[in-house]
Amino acid sequence: MRGRAGAAAWAVAAAAAAALPLAVKNSFFLHVCILVLLWTALGEAWNVLGGYAGQVSFGHAALFGFGAYVTAILYLKAGVAPWWGIPLGGAAAAAVSVPTGLIAFRLRGPYFSLATLAVAELAKLVALNWEWATNGPTGFLITSLPPLTLFGFAVNWESKAPFYLAALALAAVSMGAAAALSRSRLGAFLVAIRENEDAAEAVGIDTVRAKVLTLALSGLLAGMGGGLYAFYFRYIDPDAVLNIGISMEMVFIAVVGGLGTVAGPLVGAVFLTAVGEAVRERFQVGHLVFYGLFMMLVIRYLPEGIWGRARGLAARAGEVRRGAARG
Amino acid sequence: MALLEVEGLTRFFGGLRAVGDLSFAVREGEILGLIGPNGAGKTTVFNLVTGFLRPSRGEVRLDGRSVAGRKPHAVARRGIARTFQIVKPFPGLSVKENVTLAAFLRHRRRAGAEEAALAVLDRLGLSQRAATRAGELTLMEQKRLEMARALATEPRVLLLDEPMGGLNPSEVDVASELVDGIRRSGVTVVLVEHVMKAIMRISDRVLVMHHGEKIAEGPPAEVVRDPAVISAYFGQGRA
Repeated sequence: MRGRAGAAAWAVAAAAAAALPLAVKNSFFLHVCILVLLWTALGEAWNVLGGYAGQVSFGHAALFGFGAYVTAILYLKAGVAPWWGIPLGGAAAAAVSVPTGLIAFRLRGPYFSLATLAVAELAKLVALNWEWATNGPTGFLITSLPPLTLFGFAVNWESKAPFYLAALALAAVSMGAAAALSRSRLGAFLVAIRENEDAAEAVGIDTVRAKVLTLALSGLLAGMGGGLYAFYFRYIDPDAVLNIGISMEMVFIAVVGGLGTVAGPLVGAVFLTAVGEAVRERFQVGHLVFYGLFMMLVIRYLPEGIWGRARGLAARAGEVRRGAARG
Repeated sequence: MALLEVEGLTRFFGGLRAVGDLSFAVREGEILGLIGPNGAGKTTVFNLVTGFLRPSRGEVRLDGRSVAGRKPHAVARRGIARTFQIVKPFPGLSVKENVTLAAFLRHRRRAGAEEAALAVLDRLGLSQRAATRAGELTLMEQKRLEMARALATEPRVLLLDEPMGGLNPSEVDVASELVDGIRRSGVTVVLVEHVMKAIMRISDRVLVMHHGEKIAEGPPAEVVRDPAVISAYFGQGRA
């Protein structure tokens, strides 16, 4: 989708999505929607760096977890409300990602990826052992949320609706950020870096700066996702928010949906959450086997992702149509 | 004053001295040919001048200002562009996008960069291929794309690393014409090349390297008669 018509279509879709809790009262369904939207945001966070710039991180759980911890600690120890705490958690994750990136981006390709894995494990070890700040393996329990009145309505934190809307806002912000990035000069530079980093430097692109800026954006989005997670599940510990599984899920969502596309992570999150929930219901034990099988099939038969393939087919159909009209 | 000055440039790889105490100057508007047997250190010199390698010692100056030890993107911004011996296109992107990315160095806005890119493509006879993916070009076209991309950064000095390697004789003639055209447009050229016919025809001066050192420098016709050069290429006792 391009230009004004595309933007209008997205606006309509967002408005319809925002009205969903009015129509749907099934709380399990809303729960699944919240997961999809949260994972969309996290997939976008990973995709700006991994998809556009080709810098494959296996350690994004560190940014997610850092955001979750900062947000939870700010709330529990300083009384900072979620609507401030979540952006602050994102900002904190963005801030730590800058020095980390300056070091890790000295490495390229698989070496960079391994370094990100190490950073995430380090973050988890710190969270487990620095009990003074993190409560160690016990983690944090958020027992109550602050009262809030919006447009004359008292927000009911026991319902799913406020979390659904927050997750929708975060997903929309993430997709908007990815769309803006993909049209910007920085976005073009990232693609150059992905295609050939030496050539990018040779034509005057400051590749380290471009990658660090993108990592900071990625950290901001992933950190906000972590903050939202903390308030939605009301419980965080190192195993829940700094798990390597979270890093991998972000990779999978971007890969399944379509690397380096704006809508890819949304498509990937819908498919993977649906597949995950569907097989979990049927097979209590070993449901991850099916999840893995699905991943293998996608990588084998749809390496450009579901959205990537759909977009490619649509573009080809358009060419054929134009060709027919001309000829 | 010379536009590009290299002074005492030295680079070690472990115990190996790839470039040793090399000095030369390139005057504005000339074509300097850099030749020498395989492994003489020519590409290393390019890497040192353009910031892809840090010199162990020595100085590189453009217009009197030092660029030694700076990052490649900073060197490009100062006005030294290069091509790669083994072409490095952005293979998945169109020819136009390849060159536009380089034009962003002097044009902040996309429209301006695209306009500049199209002008360069036109100059190098690549306009017909603007929409083609760079990975699908022939070798000759990819070598041209390398040049187009380097020129789009609007350099003062252009370092060409074997722009004619792998081309057939008639393509070499076309490429020589192209390089000469670049010089006439006001860009100073340093050329590494093995195709002697081309070097002899278009270089104003030639610098010969052997084992990382300069063994001769001067007009092409004189240099080829230099005994040191002949023995470097053909072995001792042939001179």
